[in-house]
Amino acid sequence: MTGDHSQRLTSRHDVELAALSAAGDRAAFGELVRRHGASVRGLLRRMGAPASEADDIAQDAFLVAFERVADFRGQGTFAAWVRKIAARQYLRRLQREKRIASLTAAEEIAGIAPAADTAGRIDLDDALRFLTAAERICVSMCYGAGLSHAEAADALNLPLGTVKSHVKRGLDKLRARLAPAENIQEGRRENG
Amino acid sequence: MAELEFERRLERLFAAPPNFADDEAFAVAVEKKLTRGWNLRRWIIGVAGLTGGVIGASQLIMSNFVHQVESASEGSTRLLQAGVQQLAPRAELLSTLPAGSSVVWIAGGMAVLAIGFVVTRVFEEF
Repeated sequence: MTGDHSQRLTSRHDVELAALSAAGDRAAFGELVRRHGASVRGLLRRMGAPASEADDIAQDAFLVAFERVADFRGQGTFAAWVRKIAARQYLRRLQREKRIASLTAAEEIAGIAPAADTAGRIDLDDALRFLTAAERICVSMCYGAGLSHAEAADALNLPLGTVKSHVKRGLDKLRARLAPAENIQEGRRENG
Repeated sequence: MAELEFERRLERLFAAPPNFADDEAFAVAVEKKLTRGWNLRRWIIGVAGLTGGVIGASQLIMSNFVHQVESASEGSTRLLQAGVQQLAPRAELLSTLPAGSSVVWIAGGMAVLAIGFVVTRVFEEF
């Protein structure tokens, strides 16, 4: 019975699963977590959260999403909707622990030279390592979580101009580092 | 144009999730937390309902409410009986209804149950 139900869920569209979840179907929401868990965890790591903290925040984000799933009406994708929740959860945690000011002020980069392929090209995760923490957060929030520059500035409690310049510098670095689109398997790589 | 294309590509790159070896374990952990939260909520609603019920019942007993309802229901029963007697010639079916004060009590009890059910559902939904 439960197996049948789970099997039926795998063929459902995200919007249908969200509607079932809103009616209290936790198995339906579990299917959404299976589909989009990696996307949310990936974004948090790309924002600079350590692996265990990223997973912790991703879990909290999904719990918040379950509480608010009735608000999801299918505008945009479910994954984008949860990623936005997760990004805000991460920032809230940084603010609560007073880590955000030091992060956004830090100018150093992670600095570990990532392994490049034979042509010297790298993928997104490696390219992000060349960004400062502030650039990384701003770029991830705008292009990973889908926030506008103004929303990101509001969430980060930074002036809009500062966010725009972080994004601009981040994009310039990424453009210089990323391999041409046709030569890489975009975004797919093994993580622990 | 090239800028816009690059931004779109970046969005696609961010949207493509990395592969995690423990995807299933992560989903199971979230489901467990959901179930725990759900059970906790049901317990809280149950305990709150029980506490409210005990307080309500004790207040009713303390305020001599039962006696007041009894005398009020006797009056209502008399009115009902008079009404039923008037209708009896026209609708024999009505005269077969038990017209004692127990009818009022049963109806009241069912109303309380219905209200309790509605309140429980409302709490579960929100």
